[in-house]
Amino acid sequence: MYGFEAITVNNGWAMALAGALIVFSGLVVLSLAISQIHKILTLFEKEKREVGFQQDLEAPKEDELEDKPLISLPKQFPTDINEIARLYQPLIDQLGETFYLSDLYAISRKNKLPHPHITFTAFRESAILIPYGEGVFTWNLPEENDDNANG
Amino acid sequence: MELLFQFLSNTGYYLADYRQIIMIVVGSVFLYLGTAKQYEPLLLVPIGFGILVGNIPFFKGFGLGIYESNSVLHYLYFGVTTGLYPSIVFLGLGAMTDFSSLLARPVLMLLGAAAQMGIFFTLLGALALGFLPKEAASIAIIGGADGPTSIFLTAKLAPHLIGPIAIAAYSYMALIPVIQPPIMRLLTSRKERLIRMPELREVSKKERVLFPAVAVILCCFLAPASIPLLGMFFFGNFLKECGVADRLAQTARTAIIDTATILLGLTVGASTQGDVFLTGKSVLIFFLGAVAFSIATASGVIFAKILNLFLKEKINPLLGASGVSAVPGSAREVHLVGQSEDPENFLLMHAMACNSSGVIGSAICAGILWSFLVGS
Repeated sequence: MYGFEAITVNNGWAMALAGALIVFSGLVVLSLAISQIHKILTLFEKEKREVGFQQDLEAPKEDELEDKPLISLPKQFPTDINEIARLYQPLIDQLGETFYLSDLYAISRKNKLPHPHITFTAFRESAILIPYGEGVFTWNLPEENDDNANG
Repeated sequence: MELLFQFLSNTGYYLADYRQIIMIVVGSVFLYLGTAKQYEPLLLVPIGFGILVGNIPFFKGFGLGIYESNSVLHYLYFGVTTGLYPSIVFLGLGAMTDFSSLLARPVLMLLGAAAQMGIFFTLLGALALGFLPKEAASIAIIGGADGPTSIFLTAKLAPHLIGPIAIAAYSYMALIPVIQPPIMRLLTSRKERLIRMPELREVSKKERVLFPAVAVILCCFLAPASIPLLGMFFFGNFLKECGVADRLAQTARTAIIDTATILLGLTVGASTQGDVFLTGKSVLIFFLGAVAFSIATASGVIFAKILNLFLKEKINPLLGASGVSAVPGSAREVHLVGQSEDPENFLLMHAMACNSSGVIGSAICAGILWSFLVGS
């Protein structure tokens, strides 16, 4: 048997049509699915970021607690160098007996103390901040300084 | 003296007939094309040598020939007749394939689907020429331009045709540079060939990891009969992309696929014994194979043109030709034809997307045809 008759008898038309439709629809579904993968992933990542952000807001981290200012600045910042030194005392207490100037600068910035560079120069000129060698400094206690000044 | 005559009468020189000589010439042509012209050498060299080995005349009954049940070649051929080698080849192919370009431009998958139409047109043609439905389906799958898939389906439906179908499938794969460019030029205008494709977006690792898992579920739920091919294919791809099994992926894409290709090529070649292979049916199969491959190429190109009627961002219709699953030959050819018109037009990555979707499409087709005909 040959020709159209053979195709019809062997169910050829149905096989060809159904086969073509199945493979086409299969690949269309697959292409739709893969076109959505990156969108779904982006959505998940966005959600994850948002959840993370919410958690951050609700529960501050330990290092953030550590970052809490050690001092509360007065409304009117003092002009007297000894007064300013007393303001710095809690920071010095945290840094220890000897410290690097860069650490003092960092902690001053964190506590929003104004113009630390200028203040440090003034401290050095007033012998409140004393070089200990190799970038290390010590603190000449303001009380003592006060005493000296008063005495 | 009698012993000498007896020995001489058992030699290949005495036993040879013209069909074996013809096949030895065919094998030599394959070897020439593979080595001197470098047309798909990894396929043509093992097949060509297999044809030489399979057509050396021998004394029947000694357990030497591939069709003799106790021969070494017969045992090696077991991997072909059971569909084992094609599955292993698909594992390696999956571990080699990068789906990034397909994931970046999923619409190109439709071109891979369109190119499978060659399979169904050829199915009708083969039935009209008087082939039985199982034989017609096995011949039609040549239109997918996928050697392992053709062998797999033929092994399941019409094992007696493995030789001619495998040789036809691989021959046309090797002849892509000859067959495809004229069809592409005939069906497209210069203006269309000059269409440039936009830069592909970057695809994240997570997308590439998810793809094989999603694809295996969607494809194999639709056509479970394609599990032996697509299951292995996507497994290989998952090994490649998951990032924690690099050693396995490396082995799959090197040693494993190479071993399977050597054994597949050699035994398929050896299965073309002149007395079995040189028949009128084989000639018809070669003719239908050429028709299938040409229709597949044409339907991909035509579908891309139809798609352009609806798309804002036009697709270069040459890409449709790479919807057949001859990886990476047809993608390379599309790229070269595109560059012959505009040297700065880079179509390769887009063509690879269509090519990889063609692999998936032809494996689904094999599954569909198998499930249609398995009970008949």
